[in-house]
Amino acid sequence: MDFEFSVKEQDIIQDVREFLRSESTPELLEESHHLGHIYGGTEGRKFIKKFAANGWLVPDWPKEYGGLGSSAMLTFAIKEEMAMAAVPIIFVAAHMAGPTIMHFASDEMKEKWLLPIARGEVEFALGYTEPQAGSDLSSLEIHAADSGDHFIVNGGKSFNTHSHVADYHWLATITDPEAKRYQGMSMMIVDLKSPGIEIRPMITMAGWQTNEVFYNDVVVPKNHLVGEINQGFYYLMSALDFERMFPLAAYERIFNEIVSYTKDTSVAGQPLSKQPLIRQKLAQLKIELEANKLLFFRLAHIIDKGQIPNYQSSMQKLFATETAQHITQAGMEILGYHGLLKKGSRHAVLEGLIEQSYRTSIVETIYAGTSEVQRNIIALRGLKLPTK
Amino acid sequence: MDYDLSSEQNILKESAHKLLAKECPSEFVREMAEDKTGYSEKLWKKMADLGWMSLLVPETYDGSGVNFLDLSILLSEFGYYCVPGPFFSTVVLGGLPILTAGSEAQKAELLPEIAAGKRKLTLAWLEQEEIYQPSGIQLTAEKTATGFTLDGTKLFVPDAHVADTIICVARTASEANGISLFIVDATLPGIQLTSLETMSGDKQYEVCFEKVAIPADRLLGELNGAWPVLEEIMLKAAVAKCAEMAGGADKVMELVIPYVKGRKQFGKPVGAFQAVQHHCANMLTFQDTNKFMLYQAAWRISEGLPFTAEAAMCKAWVNESHGKLVGLGHQIVGGLGFMEEYDLQLYFKRARTAAQMFGSSDDHREIVAREMGL
Repeated sequence: MDFEFSVKEQDIIQDVREFLRSESTPELLEESHHLGHIYGGTEGRKFIKKFAANGWLVPDWPKEYGGLGSSAMLTFAIKEEMAMAAVPIIFVAAHMAGPTIMHFASDEMKEKWLLPIARGEVEFALGYTEPQAGSDLSSLEIHAADSGDHFIVNGGKSFNTHSHVADYHWLATITDPEAKRYQGMSMMIVDLKSPGIEIRPMITMAGWQTNEVFYNDVVVPKNHLVGEINQGFYYLMSALDFERMFPLAAYERIFNEIVSYTKDTSVAGQPLSKQPLIRQKLAQLKIELEANKLLFFRLAHIIDKGQIPNYQSSMQKLFATETAQHITQAGMEILGYHGLLKKGSRHAVLEGLIEQSYRTSIVETIYAGTSEVQRNIIALRGLKLPTK
Repeated sequence: MDYDLSSEQNILKESAHKLLAKECPSEFVREMAEDKTGYSEKLWKKMADLGWMSLLVPETYDGSGVNFLDLSILLSEFGYYCVPGPFFSTVVLGGLPILTAGSEAQKAELLPEIAAGKRKLTLAWLEQEEIYQPSGIQLTAEKTATGFTLDGTKLFVPDAHVADTIICVARTASEANGISLFIVDATLPGIQLTSLETMSGDKQYEVCFEKVAIPADRLLGELNGAWPVLEEIMLKAAVAKCAEMAGGADKVMELVIPYVKGRKQFGKPVGAFQAVQHHCANMLTFQDTNKFMLYQAAWRISEGLPFTAEAAMCKAWVNESHGKLVGLGHQIVGGLGFMEEYDLQLYFKRARTAAQMFGSSDDHREIVAREMGL
């Protein structure tokens, strides 16, 4: 047993931290805040290529595919550092689609995609959800018809975040409408600049943009099919498992800001941090962050043993996102009226961080599988409970 | 990072599991809860033969080397089987003060006997104002020509009725931290025990010390220097209690999950209802997080790393999560689980008992807050 990083891992983590400190400029932060993603703008592209040149975007990939051949443990630690650095830096291509391509796609596809992904040169957007297919992703309606050497895709997606800044769509589509549930779906990589694709913004209550994506006779070459045809549902589930490994450091940073605020803010002649109820609240959050840390790095430990995390990813995603909401709620409780003030307002504190993150955190327990879906998975896969 | 037990630790766990399955069935646990002595000498000897009492004793004192993580793994099995008896009092509460504060002579005298299971100990710490602060210590030790005289009353002294030696926490100076430890022969005149009736049938005592004269060489550690020792012991004992809870949780899951798969209502297993499934998912989450919080704290103690924050986080978390886990277990087993003859009650009572000991969740959150610099 061992609950520390190795010296070698610590050294790399330190390097990453230094890099993030010196390279995350105000211009970069402003641009990525505006776009809702660190990818897509000029500053972001510059930053991520430089970052990825160190192999840090996908450290646990083999060297031939642009990684460092390192442990998943290090990869997870770097993801936490990225999240802590206040740049929204979860990559669909590198962290969700990439591992799925590596596990399931043809050698040709691996050759074509993995290196550019590892270098941070391309980014995907998730193309799963449709208006009638939210938690139940087996009920997709978008359809790809076989047309010789290509598919013709028609239909629509919703809540496809980052589609407006990404290069490609990581598209789940029906290829056999007659097939039984789960058996007629395929995964494809679609150029978002393809003729026939229309992207319309959907603005969230957190202020950032997600999208509807419409397909009207869009041509997708057959060599953009991932793995086997009609096996897409299983690839999607695999990619979702990778998505459910949730770095919580973005919220840990918010927590740290709240802690500083309680030390710096005096009420009735003493710092808030000396009030017993506030101490209890903050200590409880610290404990939840610690428990989450242990669940998070367990996933890396499982991967490093050559196994695939199962219910454990759901458990971590569930725990992390509920902790995220506990943090923003505590922030509101501690800040009082000041918690309502937006960035830039007169009297705003912490640059409106709590006002913003309180709105954002509501979606954390919803996307990538709601908390209810995660609990179903934990019960069915982790405890083998019956469905009927 | 590595979350796995070593092969030696797995062997320890499995051998304990096997022995206790045979020697400590729930009928025995119930019997011992009613029994005045509350343990079996036969089982005690078997445990001693396996070297279980020697896990915190260095090899120089005939122990198997100090390994708190191994002890935690063993205590998890104790929690799984609700093992009754003075093991915790002897090894953790008695052993740790001697190990931490004892002179060479005191260690040489007592540790080999602890390791061999030949001496039972306990710790007399709390008093009427049950608080883990120096101000809670009112029992006095007055200096005399030949040593000290103890006067006062201790509460919640576990297994005092079978202890050969009582480590007594006493006030030796009026300033706040004027606290010292004494090694007290339990047969000395002036010591009077009164049993307390507890929820889970564990043996707790009021111990009155009335002008108990003890020789000078029975002072354990520095005069007026006991408080830092006790703070460390409280944290270690808290982690050790968490080990029992974590093991108890494993057993609760084994009781409850098969039950909800088999029990049918409205024509299907109750475990097929999502409301029940979500309770079960929460239970598994508590079970896993409890274990990791425990392992992390115990590992840090074993490795000689700073552990205050991790130990306090562990106790605060496990207290509440284990309580919720058992509570959810009751909720989904329903009326049957409320029956005395169903084993779930054993775990319900022990979950609460462990939560009350060595600091509440509030106490430990306050320690965490201090460690955070608040």
